[in-house]
Amino acid sequence: MPYPTEQTDELKGYCKKVSALPEAGVEYLYLEELRLPAGCTPAVCDALLCPVAKDGYPSRLYFAVQVSGQFARNWNGTVRIGEKNWFAFSWKVDLASPTLAQLLVAHLNGFAKEK
Amino acid sequence: MAERGQEVPHGQSFVAQIDYERVRLETQYPKGELLLARVHKQPCAFELIAEFVHCDNRVIEPDEIVDLHQRGLKGFITAHKEIVTIFIEGPEHPYQIERGEHSVAEILAKVGKTPDGYVLLEEKDGPPLPLPPSIPVKISGCEMFYTQPQSGGSS
Repeated sequence: MPYPTEQTDELKGYCKKVSALPEAGVEYLYLEELRLPAGCTPAVCDALLCPVAKDGYPSRLYFAVQVSGQFARNWNGTVRIGEKNWFAFSWKVDLASPTLAQLLVAHLNGFAKEK
Repeated sequence: MAERGQEVPHGQSFVAQIDYERVRLETQYPKGELLLARVHKQPCAFELIAEFVHCDNRVIEPDEIVDLHQRGLKGFITAHKEIVTIFIEGPEHPYQIERGEHSVAEILAKVGKTPDGYVLLEEKDGPPLPLPPSIPVKISGCEMFYTQPQSGGSS
């Protein structure tokens, strides 16, 4: 995995298991049973973190299902990775040099912020 | 067993009754915090009250040393505090707040921040996760919160 071990280890607190999912030149981080913020349905969900630029975003977080939360989100990304469909909502994270955990939390903030 | 094959005597132990449960302690002079801990409670959420004969009760502070053999001491009871302690940005930063439901804005205001600029995260059964500002937060005491600048947006 090309990401620092201490950073991938930090991600393990947020989900059941972290593993690498390389595809088409991108090393995705597969987050099994990721815990989602309060108010989300489902409360846990498999997710894929893409820490590098993709589809016009500096980073993306894909979910196995379209999660419903407190605010309506613009689910504008559907991709097929690792022979599964994944969904992402329009959310741009503008942190400078975040750790993987900071990046993940910034994406999850998308469920806790109106706009 | 000692080298001579004899039983090693146990250190002296003392018994206290807390919430009608008998707990053993290694000292006659425990602090209030230790007594609470022996019934799996913390001073950020619970009060320890010493019960004496003649219906005399007294609140024991967490740092207060108690003599378990003092005259008239019957035991201890615990009670959920009305004003509890929460922690924001680490255990070294305690804040007092009324037990019950509070908005994210009220909790952020404790550290002079607002939901416009900051996300409130709660550490609960795992690493801190963001709390939506529209859902009330249930405070029972001892909750651990963190803040993070708003760092993303719908594009």
